[in-house]
Amino acid sequence: MAQAVTTVVSSELAPRTTNPARAVRVGLVGVTLIVALAAVGVLALMLGVTEIPPREVLTIVFTEGGARVPRIVIWEVRLPRFLLGALAGASLAAAGTMLQDALKNELASPGLLGVATGASLVVAVIVIFNIAVPFGTRPLFALAGGLTAGITILFVTRLTKDPVRMILIGAALSAFFSAMITIVVVLGEPEEIRALYSYLVGSVIGRDWDDLLLALPWIAVGLPIALLFGRPLNLLQLGDDMAEGLGLPVFRTRAVIFAVAIVLQAAVVAVCGPIGFVALVAPHMTRGLLQTTDARQVLPISALVGALLLTISDVVARELFSPAELPVGLLTTVIGAPFALVLLRRLITRKAHG
Amino acid sequence: MTSLDQRSGTALQIPDTRPFAARRFTLFLALCLVLIAALLVLHIAVGTLNFTPLQVVRALVNRAEEQLHRQVVWGLRLPRALVALGAGAMLGTAGAILQTVTRNPLAAPGLIGVSQGGVLAIVAYIVLASRSVQFGFISDAGLVLPLAALIGGITAALLTYALSYAQGSDPVRLVLVGVLVGAVCSALASVLLLAARDNEVQRIVRWTVGSTAGRVWIHWHTLWPVALIAIPLGFLSAGLANVLQLGDGVARGLGVRVEGVRVILLFVAALLTAGAVAVVGAVGFVGLIGPHAARRLTGGDVRRLFSLSAALTANLLIAADIVARTVSIGWLNTVFGLDVPTGAGLPVGAVTALLGAPFFLYLLLRRRSDV
Repeated sequence: MAQAVTTVVSSELAPRTTNPARAVRVGLVGVTLIVALAAVGVLALMLGVTEIPPREVLTIVFTEGGARVPRIVIWEVRLPRFLLGALAGASLAAAGTMLQDALKNELASPGLLGVATGASLVVAVIVIFNIAVPFGTRPLFALAGGLTAGITILFVTRLTKDPVRMILIGAALSAFFSAMITIVVVLGEPEEIRALYSYLVGSVIGRDWDDLLLALPWIAVGLPIALLFGRPLNLLQLGDDMAEGLGLPVFRTRAVIFAVAIVLQAAVVAVCGPIGFVALVAPHMTRGLLQTTDARQVLPISALVGALLLTISDVVARELFSPAELPVGLLTTVIGAPFALVLLRRLITRKAHG
Repeated sequence: MTSLDQRSGTALQIPDTRPFAARRFTLFLALCLVLIAALLVLHIAVGTLNFTPLQVVRALVNRAEEQLHRQVVWGLRLPRALVALGAGAMLGTAGAILQTVTRNPLAAPGLIGVSQGGVLAIVAYIVLASRSVQFGFISDAGLVLPLAALIGGITAALLTYALSYAQGSDPVRLVLVGVLVGAVCSALASVLLLAARDNEVQRIVRWTVGSTAGRVWIHWHTLWPVALIAIPLGFLSAGLANVLQLGDGVARGLGVRVEGVRVILLFVAALLTAGAVAVVGAVGFVGLIGPHAARRLTGGDVRRLFSLSAALTANLLIAADIVARTVSIGWLNTVFGLDVPTGAGLPVGAVTALLGAPFFLYLLLRRRSDV
């Protein structure tokens, strides 16, 4: 689907020429990633307290057969969790790619820009104050929090073109929201606090179909829309003036891109909590993998990379201290932060050398 | 004023030696000290048992009308007030140092990973130790927690410095790396909290927010030695920090060993922050507001800035603690149907965050071109 969009757009107006060899390569990478994702899926359904052999996993998933208990374990526990992880990873990665290109900022990600903490704050308030909101509207509230934070950041950083400075402001705003979260947390009962903290690290532990269905509409709408933005993102990479000259309504496009990225992030935060650094890391890995910054290719592939990253991390987090489970957000943070560091260092040295 | 003016104004801050500014500085400092004394008395006077200021003073000089007054004042309220005073002064100095070293008005003790490192060490100790001890209750008192926090905070600071070092350190890189180190530390602390027992969860959360509740003499005795070493060190290094403000190039041209000075200042700031965190937890925002207000009053000369910032921030923290002790949160229970133990009151960290938040936003919006 994404490929079709790509070819249509490229015949219209393309800032870069796409040669057939490259298209084949992107396709190959995409297929490989999908196969890898399927393999991780089998692994995720296999492993756990009760191990289920791969053959039986396939039987259970694709046919009506299989023993009763493994069937329940897979269909009620492991499958929704895996699917949610994959969708969340894809959404985060797509949001990260969009923000990085739209802001011309390699360090941008919904997490570092305070969007995730803004959304978390709203969820924290709902949990601790026992505010009776209908179950299905929680993403909506997370969205409101994320949007508020995102708009504040945009307003504040309107004048700065310096990516590092923008990240600093985002970090400061995040710190502010975190402080608000802790104030709310102090008022909670131990049980609520623990639930909230597990959520605030970002985790897919114990998520079932209800949770998946909660996030699904937002992601199902947001992700395909995100994949349509390859060409505008390419134009924005050229700089505002150039993009405007090539006929792109820069301000409006950027606003829409932001809204889509925030929707994707907020849907994930509402269900899994702010899983850190996937949105930052996945786009960079993809660009390295494809050896290109062409957003039309990077966007779909980065979504696959994000899904793969998150699901692999979750399998590791589950099995590392089995039967105790770690929240996946811990793993992505501990692995992602050094990566961010390397990125930062590269960015600053490049700036120093002109 | 245009952004260009602002920038050249901060970059070329000539030490302000006009007699008027100097006199004004003395005046402000004296005012701050008087205010501290007044707030201390007020802090001691309010509570479940209200005293008149006169009664407080009489109890303090051991001429109380009743034995009970003396016990309450000396046994409970004075140490808590002193802890707030000391921690405030330490955080204020640390904030001023960090803002000077990083040339970043948003730098604060919480933003370079030191607070989070200290809190992580405290949480780790409480969780792990209470699992190994038979009747697992680890008291807040004693030397172990402060020591753990000191070690954790300074380790985080060293880590931040080491990771940001590449052919010399760079202020911007320092802050960014600090943010990342802090993020990792707080993620780890949150996970440890999941492993904590029910009766420890509340307490751990209070450490992460910052609280002065229940601080007595033993806490004061772990606070003042660090303060006594680190605050004078900070004041002594003010002259060097002054030169650093001119920019690395100019400072080097004036014969200052930039790298060494920066390491010393960072270490002092880390020591101050970790010392304060060890006793009251990660109290946020005072280390940001205090130095800002002080800079507004005295201008850029660091030698005055540090001491005034220490005094001002001490004021802030004592005032915040008075608010924390007197404001009732019972209305929350009625409005939201919560079941919060109102006797405990808000932790002081929550009050500073509530006071600091609007200020912080104002700062962001005002200095957008200059941050």
